[in-house]
This record gives sequence, C-alpha cells and structure tokens, in this order.
Amino acid sequence: MGELSDAEDDLYHAVARLAQRTPFVEVLAEGIHGLSVRYDGRLVSYQSPPRVRGAVFRAWTGAGWTEVSVSGLDAATLRFAESAIERALNHRPAHDAPPGLSSTTRLDEVTPMTKPIQDLGEEELLPLARDVHSWVDGAPDIHETEVQVSWREDDRLYLNSVAARCSQSICRVRGIVVPVAMEHGRAESDRYIVGGVGGREILDGLRPEGVRKAADTARAMLHAKSPPSGRANVLLSPSVTGYFAHESFGHGAEADQFVRGRSYLQPLLGSVVGPEILTIVDNGAYAGAWSQIFCDDEGFPAQRTVLVDHGRFTGALHDRATAAALGASPTGNARRSDVFSRSFVRMTNTYVEPGESSFEELVREARDGVILESGVGGIEDPQGGQVQVKARMGHRIENGKVTDLVGSMALSGNVLDFLRSIRGISGPPDFELDTGSCGKGRTDLLPNSAGGPYLLSAAVVGQA
Amino acid sequence: MSAPRGRDAAAFRVGDQLAGQEPWEVFAERIRRFEIHLSGDAVEMTRGPIAIEGYEIRLFRPRDGNLGVGSQASNDFSPEGVRATLEDAGRAARHALFPASRCELPSGRGATGGIVEVLDRGLWEYPMDSLESYVASMRAALDGRPGFALSFGSIRATLVETSICNSYGLRTGYGHTQVELEIGVKASGGPEGPQAGEYWLNDSSRRLRPEELSRKADEWCHFAEDIRRGSPAPTGEMPVILPAAVLAGILPTVCGGRLTGSARLHGIAPVPGTKVAPEMVTVHDDGRLPWAPMSSPVDDEGVPQRRRLLVDHGAVSEVLYDSLHAGSFDVASTGSAFRGVSSGFRTWYRFLQPPGIAPSTIVVSPGGGGSDSELVEQAKEGVWIQEIGWSSPDPVSGAFGGEIRLGYRIRSGKLAEPIRGGTVGGFVFAPADSPSLLNRLQAIGSTSSFVEPVSSPPILVGALPIGGER
Repeated sequence: MGELSDAEDDLYHAVARLAQRTPFVEVLAEGIHGLSVRYDGRLVSYQSPPRVRGAVFRAWTGAGWTEVSVSGLDAATLRFAESAIERALNHRPAHDAPPGLSSTTRLDEVTPMTKPIQDLGEEELLPLARDVHSWVDGAPDIHETEVQVSWREDDRLYLNSVAARCSQSICRVRGIVVPVAMEHGRAESDRYIVGGVGGREILDGLRPEGVRKAADTARAMLHAKSPPSGRANVLLSPSVTGYFAHESFGHGAEADQFVRGRSYLQPLLGSVVGPEILTIVDNGAYAGAWSQIFCDDEGFPAQRTVLVDHGRFTGALHDRATAAALGASPTGNARRSDVFSRSFVRMTNTYVEPGESSFEELVREARDGVILESGVGGIEDPQGGQVQVKARMGHRIENGKVTDLVGSMALSGNVLDFLRSIRGISGPPDFELDTGSCGKGRTDLLPNSAGGPYLLSAAVVGQA
Repeated sequence: MSAPRGRDAAAFRVGDQLAGQEPWEVFAERIRRFEIHLSGDAVEMTRGPIAIEGYEIRLFRPRDGNLGVGSQASNDFSPEGVRATLEDAGRAARHALFPASRCELPSGRGATGGIVEVLDRGLWEYPMDSLESYVASMRAALDGRPGFALSFGSIRATLVETSICNSYGLRTGYGHTQVELEIGVKASGGPEGPQAGEYWLNDSSRRLRPEELSRKADEWCHFAEDIRRGSPAPTGEMPVILPAAVLAGILPTVCGGRLTGSARLHGIAPVPGTKVAPEMVTVHDDGRLPWAPMSSPVDDEGVPQRRRLLVDHGAVSEVLYDSLHAGSFDVASTGSAFRGVSSGFRTWYRFLQPPGIAPSTIVVSPGGGGSDSELVEQAKEGVWIQEIGWSSPDPVSGAFGGEIRLGYRIRSGKLAEPIRGGTVGGFVFAPADSPSLLNRLQAIGSTSSFVEPVSSPPILVGALPIGGER
C-alpha cells in the first residue's frame, strides 16, 4: 500500500472535518502502476499506467449523495475537494443519516503472489513476448501475430466517517496472443488469453499449444462456412456460457435496476426460472479470478452471491442504497471504474456452475444445431428480458456429430425461454473463466470475468 | 476556466521543463466534469466538480533506422513529478521500436487550426445550472404522456482545456465541451398487452439543445412503444435498410480498423484505388463538422483537422494517418491522431493514453435513393433495422451484426409492424465474389441525418441474413 500511505493522514483528517457537517462521508483514493508490452515481430511498444493518483469524496446531503473527485492527493488538492463538498453541504444541510448500512470493515489485503511481478520491467517483458511470438513461427498463412503481456496493480484505500478502513492492492496479469490469417484480401483472427489476479506465475500458463491452436483457428476461419439462421439447438462454449450468465442474470440481477423498476427479473425473485441443473453465481471473492476484489468501493467485503440456485432465482447484487431500498444486505458489488467515475452495482466474476454431462453427451443430445465458440461480447436488456451474445466462430452439429466450422454469429433470445430450454451442462473439467471488461453506460468500463462450462439450450442465431 | 493561453496552459508548463530532450511532445488537459444521475425521474446523485489536470510526455528516439517511441502520463506538475514522468517515457523509448525513420510533428506557434464550433458557452460558464435546467426541460417534455416515463438517466458535461506543445515550436490549445446523455424511456404494457418496452438512448454532443427535447421526446416514446409491441423477426436473406443510427455502430470501427496507416503498416489496408463498393458510394471523414463530438480545430498531435475523402465513387481514395504512421510511409499526417478512442468507445479524459489513428465523423454522401419512403418502396419486402443491440464490428475481418432491438417489416413497399429480437449481420468489406454490405448495396437515400459519429442517409442493402423465430 506504499502507493497511498503517504496521503492517508490527510485523507483521514479531511473525512473527520467533513463528518462535522454531515452524518456520513467517505473517501476512496486510488493509485495504479504496472507495465504492458506489445510485440508483433517488428513493432515494440510499452505502456505504463499513468502516474495518476486521485480520490473521490462522497457525502450525504440529507436528500441525496454529492460527490467530488480530484486527480491528486497532495494537501492542496484534497483541500479543494473538501471545500467543494462543504459548499454542497452548505447548500443542502444534512441532518438524517443516509439509508442503509455504513461499512465498518477494517481490512488490509494484498494480492498473494508465488512469483512477485513488480520487478518485471522493460528488459524482462520483451524477451517473454518474443518467446511467445516465436511459438507461431512457421505456421502457414499467418500474416501477423501480436503478443501483449501486461501487469497492473490497482491500490485502493477506503475510509469513512464511521471508522471503516479498507486497504487493498489488486494485481491483474494477462498475456494475449492474436494471430491474424490472411488470404485474397480476407483477414481473420483468433485470440489466446491467459490472465488473472496474482503474480508472474500467471504468465507461466502461456503455452505453445494454445498459441498454435489460435493460429490454426484463424487460418481455418478464412474458409469457414456461414452459420445457420433462425431457431436452433445451441451449445454454448464456456466463454459464451459466461457471456450469457453475465448479460442475462448478471445485469438483470443488479438491484439498481430493481429500484428503477426496469428489471424483468424482480417479480421472479424466489421463483423457479430454470432447470434443477442450473446454478448461476457472482463471486467477487473467487481467488485468482480476473475480477477478484477484497472489498467493494463502499467498504463491504467481496462475497459469493448465488443468483440462481438449482433453477430458483434466489438473489440479487446490492450496494448500500439498493439493499436499503429492498430490505436486503450489501453484497460487496458497489464498484467504480476509477475515482473519477460514479459507483454502481456491478458484477465481479459471474458464472454458471458445472453440471454433470460430458461435451460428447451434449453434442449427441443436441443431434442438430450449432456450437457457439470464442465469445466476444453481449448486451443486456433488463427491461425487456432479451439477451444478445456474440461468438467469433462455431461448428455445426449434424446427426449428433461436430461438423463444419462456421463464422461469427450472434444469439438472440428471451432469457426465460432460453432457461426453460436448457437440456444439459457439462462438468468441472470444461469450466473456464475469462478476463474481460464490462461497461454500464458508455464509459464505466471495469475488469470483469464471466464463464462456466458447456451449456445446451435453444435460441435464435444468425450471422453477425 | 477559459481556453488555454500563454504560459499558464498545462502542456506549456511541462514543455518548458523538457529542454535537451528533443524531439518531444506534451499533450495536456484541464478538465471539469459535472453529472446528474436520475432514478426514474428523481435525482439520485449529483457529481462535480470532478477535477482532473494531467499530461502525457511522448519522446521519439532514433534507433537503427527506426524510432523508439515512449510515453508516460502523469498529474504531477512539480519539477520532480515531470522529471519522474520523463524518466519513465525515456525508459520506454529506449526499449520500444517503431518502423519509421522520422516523425514529423507539426510546428509553429499559434497553429490553431481555425475556428470549429466545439464549445457551448452557456455550459462552460454555468455547468451545473445548465444541466439542472436541461433535466427540468426533459421532465417537462415527457410530462403528460400517459404510459411513458423515464426509467433512468445520466447527463454528464465535460469542460476541457486541451493544450499541446512540442519541440518543433508548436504551442496550441482550445477549449471544448462534451455532453453525454444516457436515458431509458419506458412504455408501460397494459393488462391486455405485453410487458413494458424500453428505448435506451446513448447520445453524445458538444452542446445542450433543450429546444429539441419536445421533438426528441416524441421519437423516444414512439420507439419505446414499438419496442414494447414488437413481434419476432422473420428468417432468411432479404432486403435490409440501415439508417444512420445503425451505421454509427459499424462504420467508424471498420473504417478505423481498415482505412488507416496502422492497417497499412499491418498489411490489411486496401490499396488506394481498390474498388470496395459500388460507384454510388462516396465517404468522407470530416473533422470540422460543427458541434460533432469528434470535431476539433486540431487533432491530438496539433495537426489541423480537415475533411478527408476515404472512398470516392466506390474506390478507396485516402487512408488516415497520424504523424507517427505517416513517417513510416513518407506521407503527411491527415490530422487523425486521437487519444482515448478504441473499438467504438471514447474516454472523456484523453491524456492517459497515447494517440492512435481514428476517424472523426464518417459522412456518407447522399445518393439518388430518394426519401425514406421511396427507399422503403424500392425494398418491396424486407426489414428496416432501427437499432442493433451491439453490432460489435470486428476491425480485422469486417464482420458486424447483433440482435435486432427494434426494426420494422417492409411489406409491399411500405413500413409495417415493428419487430424485436432476432439477428442481422454480415461483412462490411469482402472480396468481390463474396457477399458484403458494400457490394450488395442497392441504393443510398437522399436525406442525411447525424447520429454521432456518422452522418448518413439510410442505405438499402439488397440482401442480408436475418435470423428470426419464423
């Protein structure tokens, strides 16, 4: 926590002074560091996270919240933020406490690492990227391969006027390999990604066979057939299963959507929405997962929240405001992209828990349909209960066998119809979590992870 | 707060400390941001000022006929902070390698790029009052419409002083405003009808225009109601009309991915003169369109913005360059260096990221397809796509598509019932013998509309695959 410790006294005193003017005030300070290298065989570029530290103060005005953010932690900058909050409180003097629980958590956590990564500088990162790049050497039709290796440590310190103090340092490490195949003016790519919260040991997971498989896939995509259009049996790969869980029950179960009256799921809380084999979880405490946090940005510890328990919709994700409005407890899901962005109810690591079928059994069960592979994204529709997920590629299933490679496609459907059509979920060996990001609105991107095993259902698909 | 002048400008204060480090560039921003967030139509939270001041130093170091380019961002303006930032940038430059022997940064004191309308004066002077007044107008515009309501909303105003300087003598800057509006308008289902429908708007502009709200509220409510009562899409290949609202999610990413010096460097850009579309297609990239969010007097390297001809009657004419990639090909920058733009997303604080190449506003020239209804008449039987959930174009393959959030059947040459759900997609560019949006283009409408960051009439594509329930 060296990144923020020099400012802690000033932050503490600012909170203490403001606490004389309002029943509740909190501050979140942030500092980041790390390094990233990109290498494509010719071009080498480095990017360090900015040397930017900052803080956001949030105070209760009696009628609502007011926030001020500053990009600096020196005494003068913090005094500017404090004055701005004071002006807002003068305008709207507060007497009553804000709704909901205030955190009283005291926590001091640092990402555990088998191999510390902080000493991995420019001299060490480039040879590693070159090594990984060399694994594609000799692969036919590969026009170019970009390798990106990065680590980024995000230190956050949370203090509030009721004595909570949460200090956490999260280190995210990732390697991405993107081979691009090209033929007669057509270009296709695939991605191989290894990442998580931890140290240098995560990069040991980069394997030549993973890189070569991505190169083979990119090349094969040049001749992929068109995907089917219309309603079909769909077998979702682990990454696509994850996007489905994230976009449907993830966003749909963010309780701020309940408070706004815009979630189709709210009236279904406690109801059976899917088969017994379906369990969907959001777990910010998942050790080593890309979106692991020790506590959220309101000072509540991260936790495992079961959203769908063996087919029954049992839980939602909360911050203090939604928990207060709906008679629930905070679930450690209040998150900010950074100290310049507002806090929302956000997911962490959202996934479908493994079932018991094997991949081969699911293919046989489908008989005819399509496998959606290599998820690239999706979008929710909390009000309408629709969902879109998109896959970079897939394979047809014909007569219970995996056949032709097909190009990128989207899945569209009503979430509840999709859940009712689930016919199988594969077992623990297939389980994967990705290393993605999620927006809420246009700009509030933060690290997010989604995953699961293979999942068989039915939906509308089409080229996209 | 005013447009940056003299030695006070953030970039100049840093640049004054970089003697002996040539060649260098400093890009800086002084930002104030204000936000109002609504839950329903009640104010949930006000935020601001969100005050950020920061800069990025970029260094260029010749190495074996190439350049080592290193950059580092910081908000520490103290001499020690600038020195530490410089050291970080220098270390990166020592290890980096870019295949260009030179980078011709713009020069000259006072290179302003002329006047482009990018600053809302009222918003600049009274930001929070302006936002509060706009929210009141928005509520008023939606009042008295039974069955319709705001389900949530965020309005964010960003006021920025940008300043840029470099070791070739450039010292320039400008002030600009940015407004982002995100709202959900809900149409409630009655006991007899389907569940509620919600129209979800994400809009970006340089200014607040409360006088447009009454007309816009009509449109929002109309779309929300059609989403509520939309029926499933049909299945099959059929004529499809795509308006500016849909093209805005596709063209910038694909053009940004393929028609740039970066794509040329990676060998995936079409050679100028290559036919990529029918004769009727002419596309510009306009960096000076008044009030457009990507317009500015100069790009993020200080090169004056201009209008660039990307596709001329179906053939690639010009590709976009920043100074760095221009140096690789011994051409001039097109003023297309932008920070914080990636895969269709744009950040509101840009100094944290080094520049890349991006289009400004993509302008598709009007064609001879006539009015919207004449275009629909030409389609005969097909679909008008009003909104795709997320079209997520792939800049490498040019594939695009996603879920139909709102569309309309076209029956017997007329717009018919709304549709919702199902998929639409394909490729933007493809080899001449493969189907694509461009090589199946049948007509371009005659009337353009602006949906940030695209200005275009609707286009009629002869056939695209639709995946639906029926």
